[in-house]
Amino acid sequence: MASVLTSRLVFCKVAQPNCWQSFFNQTTLKNVGKSTRLNQCLPSILSITVRSYAEKKVFQRSKPHCNVGTIGHVDHGKTTLTAAITKVLAEKQLAKAKGYAEIDNAPEEKARGITINVAHIEYQTDKRHYGHTDCPGHADYIKNMITGAAQMDGAILVVAATDGAMPQTREHLLLAKQIGIEHIVVFINKVDAADNEMVELVEMEIRELMAEMGFDGANLPVVKGSALSALEGKQPEIGAEAILKLLDEVDNYIPTPVRDLDKPFLLPVENVYSIPGRGTVVTGRLERGIVKKGNEVEFIGFSKSIKTTVTGIEMFHQILEEAQAGDQLGALVRGVKREDIRRGMIMCKPGSMSAQDHFDSQVYLLTKEEGGRPKPLVPFMHLHMFSKTWDCAAQVNIPGKEMVMPGEDAKLELKLLRPMVLEKGQRFTLRMGSTTVGTGVVTNVLPLMSEKERLLLTEGKKKREKAIAAAGGQA
Amino acid sequence: MISRQISRFFHNTSLLWNVNKSDLAKLRKKTGYTFANCKKALELNNNVEEAEKWLKEQAQSLGWSKASKLEGRKTSQGLVGLLVKENRAVMLEINCETDFVARNKKFKSFVDLSVNSCFHEVSKINTGSELKKVTVAGEELKTLPTPEGKSLSDLSALTISELGENINLRRAIYVTCPEGIQLASYAHPNNNNTTNVLTGKYGAIIAYVADSYDAQRQEWAMQLCQHVVGMNPKTVGIMGEDEPAVDKDDELTMIHQEFLLDPELTVSQFLANSGIKIVDFVRIECGEPLEAVEEPVPIKAVG
Repeated sequence: MASVLTSRLVFCKVAQPNCWQSFFNQTTLKNVGKSTRLNQCLPSILSITVRSYAEKKVFQRSKPHCNVGTIGHVDHGKTTLTAAITKVLAEKQLAKAKGYAEIDNAPEEKARGITINVAHIEYQTDKRHYGHTDCPGHADYIKNMITGAAQMDGAILVVAATDGAMPQTREHLLLAKQIGIEHIVVFINKVDAADNEMVELVEMEIRELMAEMGFDGANLPVVKGSALSALEGKQPEIGAEAILKLLDEVDNYIPTPVRDLDKPFLLPVENVYSIPGRGTVVTGRLERGIVKKGNEVEFIGFSKSIKTTVTGIEMFHQILEEAQAGDQLGALVRGVKREDIRRGMIMCKPGSMSAQDHFDSQVYLLTKEEGGRPKPLVPFMHLHMFSKTWDCAAQVNIPGKEMVMPGEDAKLELKLLRPMVLEKGQRFTLRMGSTTVGTGVVTNVLPLMSEKERLLLTEGKKKREKAIAAAGGQA
Repeated sequence: MISRQISRFFHNTSLLWNVNKSDLAKLRKKTGYTFANCKKALELNNNVEEAEKWLKEQAQSLGWSKASKLEGRKTSQGLVGLLVKENRAVMLEINCETDFVARNKKFKSFVDLSVNSCFHEVSKINTGSELKKVTVAGEELKTLPTPEGKSLSDLSALTISELGENINLRRAIYVTCPEGIQLASYAHPNNNNTTNVLTGKYGAIIAYVADSYDAQRQEWAMQLCQHVVGMNPKTVGIMGEDEPAVDKDDELTMIHQEFLLDPELTVSQFLANSGIKIVDFVRIECGEPLEAVEEPVPIKAVG
C-alpha cells in the first residue's frame, strides 16, 4: 500500500510537478482509500502513464487500446498462436517475444482478491495497442469478466484444420456470447498438415456453426495459417505472413472500445460541503467524460433527481476550466442545499443515467480462502450491495439454480430495497456483515419494481420470520 | 479441344488421388470424426459408405491411440453423475481437462452411460440387512461392461478421441440399503437433465428413515441432500454424544449445523420437525483430493 502511494508520488513529480504534487501532499494521508482507487484507474484514463520504476519503459499512449483474447480447443494451438504473434511483432519492435512455456504456465493472478488462471500479454500493431488474454477454462474467463481485469472487446477463435470444429466449440462460442463478445476473428491453424480442400471445408463448417450460434458467420474474417511455422520462422506464406494478416483483420474487424473520456460525464458523490458565501460543493472522482463550468448536471439517487448547473470546478484549491475523467474534483453547484445531496448520489449529464432497483447480474462467490463465506448462497437471502459510492440492501434470487457454492459463478437476479443509480456493465461487491461474499457485474437492467413488489421484499421476510417464530413456538 | 481433354484428364486423376471435397464434407457431417481421419478413410476406400464403415471399425483403435497419447494430461474438471432407484444408488466422478468439455452434451452422455453401467453392477448386490457404502476405484470401473458389450474404458477412449481431451473415470460409490431405509439424492448445479441421471459438480446421497414417505418428506430429504452438498458436514453425529463446535462456522457435525435453507434452525431441529432420521450420507465434490481408498466396510445404521 505504502509503496503504491510513494510510487505514485514519484510519478506525479515526474509527470506534472506542481499541482499533482500539492494535491498528494494534502490528500494522501487523509484519503488513502480514495487515492488508491484513483491509482487503479489512472492507466486507462490519463493520456500518458509514467511508471515510477526507473528501469521500466515509459508507456506511450499514442495508439488506441483494445483487449482481445484467444478461445479454442486445448490442442488447436491457442498458446502457440499467442507466442507466434509476439514473435512476429517483436521483429517489428512492436512486442516483446514470449516463449510458449511463459504463456502456457500462466501464474495465478489476483484481481479484487479473486484468483484467476490467466495470461495477460501486451503487444501493438501499427494501428492499435493490444492487451491479450488467454485463460484455460470457462470459469476463468467469467471471473476475468466480472473483475474487469481486462474486459475483452473481441476474440480470436483458433481451430485446427486437421480436426475442424470440436464438439465443445459450441461451449466456447456460448462463453463468448456470455461475456459480451460480438466480434470474433477465426484463425484456422495447422494448415501445413492439411490440404486445401480440408481447409476450405473447415472454413465452411466453422462459418455455419458461428452463424448458428448467432454470430455473423458469412462475413466474419477467417485467416488460414500455421502458428508453429511462424514461431519456428519457416514457410513465411503460412507463417509470419498469416499472422500479420490475422492481426490486420483483428485491427479492422474488432471495433475500438469507446474511451471513458468520450462518454457522458459521471461523478459519484463522495462528500458534500456547504461553503459560506459560495454555496454547495460536491466532491468526488470524475469517473468518465469531461465536465466544464456552466454544464447542466443532474443529481440522481435516493429516489431524488435534481437538475442544476455547475458554476465552478476546483482541483487542489485551484480553478479548473475543464475536468477530465480521473480527476478528483470539487464542483460548485447552483441553487442546491447541502441537505439535498448526499454521498451515494451521482452527478451526471442530464438523462444519461437513471436509478434502478431490479437487474440481472453475473456474480462470482469468493471461496473461504479468498476471504468469502464458507457457505453457499440461497435464494431470498439479503445482502448488502456496494457500488460506486452507494450501498444498499439487496435481495438475491437465483434463476435456474437452488444455490450457489463458494468458488462458483452464477447469474443472480438482484432486487434493491430502493432504486439506486445503475447501468449495464457496472461492477459491484456483495457483502454480509464484515465478509465480502462476492463480486459481480450488472448484465441486464430489468424494469423497475412496482410498489407491491417492493413491499413484498420486506413483507416476505416478515412472513418468513413469523412462520419461523410459529414453528419455534411449537418446538 | 486438346487442352480441355487434358484438363479433364487431370481433373479425373486428381479425383482418384485426392479426395472428393463433397464426399469429405458429407462424411464429416455424417460421422463427426476429425477431417484428417475422414480423409484417410476416403483415401483407403472407394465410396462414402465404405469409408463410413471403415471409420466405425477403426474408431476403437483410433480412440485407443488418441487416449494413450493424451494419457497423463491433468484432469481437474469434470462431472459427478448419480442415479438412485429404490434402495440402490450410484455416484460416479468422471474428470476431463477443461470445464468447456464438462459442459458438453457428448461428455454428459458419456457420464450418463457410465452411471447406468455402474448401476447394472449395483443391481447385482444383495441389499441384505445393513446399509452398504462401497467405494470403487477408477481402475475397476474401467473394466465394467457397457450395455453394448464394450468395456467402459473402450467407451472412454472413443469419447477421448471425439472430444480431444483426456478423460478419467476417477471413482464411484455404490450405496445399497435394506427395506425400511430410503435414499434421496441431489446434484449441484443441477443441469436440466433429460435422463434419470443427475449430473453436477457436486453430488450427495442420504439414507434416511421417516414416519412416512410422502411427497413432502421426499422434498425435505432432497433439501437435506442439498444441505450436505452446501455445508459439507463430515459426520451425521449423535445427539448427546457429539458436542457442538465452539465456532458455528467450523461445525462439521451435521446435526449441529445451521440448516442451509433456514439458518434459524439447526439440522437436528429441522429433523425433529420433519420426522426424518438420517442414517448416513455420502458426498462427492468434483476434483476434491482423495483420501486413501477405504476398505469397503458395511456401515451400521445409526439411531
